[in-house]
Amino acid sequence: MTVLLLLCSAAFVAPFIWLVSTSLKPIEQTLTLPISFLPKAYYAELGGRRMEVTVDFQVTQPGAVVRFLTGDDAGKLGFLGAAQMASRPGTFTLVHAVAAGSWHVSQRFDREIGETGPTPLWDVVPRDQVDSHVKFRWANYPRALAALGGDAEADRHRVGFWTFLGNSLTVAVLGVLGTVISNAIVAYGFARLRWRGRDAFFALTLATMMIPFPALMVPLYGVFRTFGLIGTLLPLWLPTWFGSAFNIFLMRQFFRTIPEELSEAARIDGCSEWRIFWRIILPLSTPVLVVAALFHFIFAWNDFLGPLLYLTRKDTYTLAIALESYESQNGGVQWHYLMAASAVTILPVIVLFLLAQKTFIRGIATTGSKN
Amino acid sequence: MTRNERKQLRAGIGFTGLWIVGLAAFTAYPVFASLYYSFCDYSILKSPVWCGLENYSQLVHDGLFWKSLRNTLFYAGLSVPLGTVVALGLAVLLNCEMRGKSVYRLLFFMPSIVPIVASSMLWLWIFNGQYGLMNGFLNLFLRPLGLHGPAWLADPAWAKPALIIMSLWSTGNAVVIYLAGLQNVPMELYEAAEIDGASAWQRFVHVTLPTIAPVVTFNAIMALIGAMQIFAQAYIMSEGANGNGNASDGNPARSTLFYTIYLFSTAFQDLRMGYASAMAYILFVITALLTWMAARLTRGHDSG
Amino acid sequence: MVYWEKWNGFEGQAAQAVIDKFNQSQDRIVVDYYATSVPDRKTLVATAGGDPPDIAGLHEQNIATFADAEALQPLDDFIHGEGMTNEEWLSRYYPVYARICTHGGHIYAGISTPAVEALYWNKTLFREAGLDPDRPPRTLAEFNDYSRRLTKRDPKTGRLTQVGFMPQDPGWWPWIFCDWFGGKLFDASGITFATDPHNVAAYAWMQSFTKSYGLDDVKALSSEFGPWASPSAPFFTGKIAMVFQGVWYDNYIHQYKPGLDYGVGPWPENVPGVKDFAMAEADVLTIPRGAKHPREAWEFIKYENSSNPGARTREELQGAELLDYLQVKNSPLRVWSPFFTNHHPHPHIAMMRQLSASPNAVCVPQIGIWQEYYREVISAFDRVRLLDATPEEALAYSQERLDASWARYRRSLELHGQWAALGEKPP
Repeated sequence: MTVLLLLCSAAFVAPFIWLVSTSLKPIEQTLTLPISFLPKAYYAELGGRRMEVTVDFQVTQPGAVVRFLTGDDAGKLGFLGAAQMASRPGTFTLVHAVAAGSWHVSQRFDREIGETGPTPLWDVVPRDQVDSHVKFRWANYPRALAALGGDAEADRHRVGFWTFLGNSLTVAVLGVLGTVISNAIVAYGFARLRWRGRDAFFALTLATMMIPFPALMVPLYGVFRTFGLIGTLLPLWLPTWFGSAFNIFLMRQFFRTIPEELSEAARIDGCSEWRIFWRIILPLSTPVLVVAALFHFIFAWNDFLGPLLYLTRKDTYTLAIALESYESQNGGVQWHYLMAASAVTILPVIVLFLLAQKTFIRGIATTGSKN
Repeated sequence: MTRNERKQLRAGIGFTGLWIVGLAAFTAYPVFASLYYSFCDYSILKSPVWCGLENYSQLVHDGLFWKSLRNTLFYAGLSVPLGTVVALGLAVLLNCEMRGKSVYRLLFFMPSIVPIVASSMLWLWIFNGQYGLMNGFLNLFLRPLGLHGPAWLADPAWAKPALIIMSLWSTGNAVVIYLAGLQNVPMELYEAAEIDGASAWQRFVHVTLPTIAPVVTFNAIMALIGAMQIFAQAYIMSEGANGNGNASDGNPARSTLFYTIYLFSTAFQDLRMGYASAMAYILFVITALLTWMAARLTRGHDSG
Repeated sequence: MVYWEKWNGFEGQAAQAVIDKFNQSQDRIVVDYYATSVPDRKTLVATAGGDPPDIAGLHEQNIATFADAEALQPLDDFIHGEGMTNEEWLSRYYPVYARICTHGGHIYAGISTPAVEALYWNKTLFREAGLDPDRPPRTLAEFNDYSRRLTKRDPKTGRLTQVGFMPQDPGWWPWIFCDWFGGKLFDASGITFATDPHNVAAYAWMQSFTKSYGLDDVKALSSEFGPWASPSAPFFTGKIAMVFQGVWYDNYIHQYKPGLDYGVGPWPENVPGVKDFAMAEADVLTIPRGAKHPREAWEFIKYENSSNPGARTREELQGAELLDYLQVKNSPLRVWSPFFTNHHPHPHIAMMRQLSASPNAVCVPQIGIWQEYYREVISAFDRVRLLDATPEEALAYSQERLDASWARYRRSLELHGQWAALGEKPP
């Protein structure tokens, strides 16, 4: 049993480990086989100096490093296998011999793909002359975030990571406030008051939960467009201030567990319903409010379809959209940066979860079971 | 109505007023407008013009519509049962294991709250045909046999299975729900079964399963409804694996063209919103049917 | 004022230079340039959302689709406000560029940078084949003949080492050959892709090259081709002797193969009597519907579609000529200033002017379903050149799909009362 459990947890955790591992590698080590988890740094002596190198490939046949005498490459260094050396005698001078199993290494510059600079030194050296140790490239993180908003110099309208973060936070926080406040008020009306048509109205509320979002998407878009809200963040959080069926249901369940006597006593004392709500019920409802807040925060932070639909300008993008458009930005995908940026998007959610685990778990369990 | 009743009604409406506005503006109006638009030729830049059942009849003849439906049913039809089995299995495992249970539960649950964009990027990388973790792992077993892992998201035959595998990673919230359900099975039932000489497996089949059946059924159907609306992962990953600027083509070879993706691209790229609304309504009908089924099935068991 | 455009790099810098000059020339309007990827898709989405840029830089093939979708503001009223009729405004352009800007009887765009396509040939290969390097083929028959004589095979292996012409290089505009053969892609009755015999003839001609070379040999040779914008492009490495390419091509030759001895000339005569056939394209400037500053957008469009006709120095260049000078392209205006004419950095600008001025120059068909039509053109071309289908079969298949699509599109236009005015007449 334990073994099975361990295997399963390994399967679930492996992607996270892979995420972090890739995010800390230099680009050339993300594209190597066989796959490895630990980013390394390699050192060798080139041109008389010890420096950081990349390992380009392994030499399988013996050969030599030579300097060419003739042809287009005259004067330049090159590598020839034994068979090649035999087939073109006299066209080169020997610099040093190379045994099979040696590594071709070249000087490593810390620069991006496509950046130009001095030509790297290189050599073919025996394996034992190359030192390596584990080195995490923490610099990937700030670089990935800086690149999120677009090409640095070319784009004078670059938007920075902090803007995206700010947008995501704005939507999430305003959404949480709206969710907690509006749904508490509405749920109180359904849970603690008796009035004509209440149950029918509640049944209708529940029924709306089965409407799939695509069925609302087009006219909703039209509504926001009429008010000129497309391209702003409002469509993403404004509706939360007007209640949502799921949260009404959640909070109503909870409110009904509060003893009726408390309300009765207050009513006899002459308190208005609003006062009862505000002073008695609400303070007792912290657990469900926290659950609703957490759920909505996670939803808003992770939401993709909403921002895709409503946001048109780069300066209003949330992290979700910024991350997605980053992928399609450059020619080739830079996995280490993409993983680093993804990790940054995941981090707040994980932290939030770890801080509020019990509430989370309890909340999920209750919503799924009682129905 | 008595004076008291009127007072109560005013209070009720006062408190639910926000929701009345919200319901009207963000749910009721769109639902009916969608229905109206589905009978119109409508692009948001031009007003809707009535055209009767033309959109629906076009849908019937639209090859892409049927393809998107097939793709969606394939995905939902596999990911939901598999996801339920996996989640239930993990819940059963956790139910037995006492030590460190909360740690395991944490590990299983965490992936389900990861932002969809981030997890799509991660799985896009994991499923990279050459350098990804999945093939790196599989090739350990396949290499000796002379085979190697497929191109996953770049291969029409393997793109949907890749998405299904990814969905299994996010079953954590179902694990939590099923675990709670399992823990609600009365001990007396187990004890009675043991006395009757039932083995562990028989206890599971005859005591555990029937008791948690309502929870499982309900969540499975909710999962089915969710799976039928799959959008974000497919949108993001088909762009990344086959990048040619058109994320909503469901590449490769339209194998990941799901219902909501086709709906979205019809509405917001081709600007054929009447047509998209017709598609949306068909989805609504399917979802309503499934919800009704869920309600019937679970109500039936509750009385048992 | 917000301006979305597709260029970055040196083209973006050229655009910025013109914008700077415009901004400095007056103090009411400041144009803010945004380099945008896929500006056509983004503009459509933004316009649908009610939050578009003031000026959108699109391609000429977007105009019909966007105009039918009512996503663009017609410029007619602005032109009339200047005291001109549409015809008077359009008379500043060469005919083909005037046609590009109009759709359904209204003017929807101004030109930012035009382009024109000509015949490029490798003079060295001509000499080796015993042809006069300064005399390009003048008729279709001569073209076919030259192509045969410029095709070489390795005597030992029989494999192709060089071909005279291959329609798939660059293979971006198979539809232009239909026009070249005198065919029409659509008319008032609908799609004529398969029904016009000239189109079939054009596709048969394209297929004839694969047939005469041999499919396997073509595949083998093609595998040696590098990307068109690289030193290993087939025209640069002498693997293809003649191509039809655009005015920008000289830049690329200069960048990737500076020593290439090449010539630039007009399209050979195909349909008897049709002289100076040429293909023209343009990047266009449009005002999306719902733009917040349409008046000001018009001012900028007007600026970029005018010039200083008497400019004698670089500093005196204005508007269209300044932008086209910096991007090394021709000007769409009829009148060229002395400096632009005599000191243009493009080595073959006179030929480009001649071609773009031709009354027989052709532009992309202005039909709202062009995106889809284009995909069918390419797909039919692929099938035909890979010998997967006869021209009749490939075109008929595409015709069927396009007929259905066109019927639907036309129905939509009819429902919205747009069909009467449009009738989608061919350009």
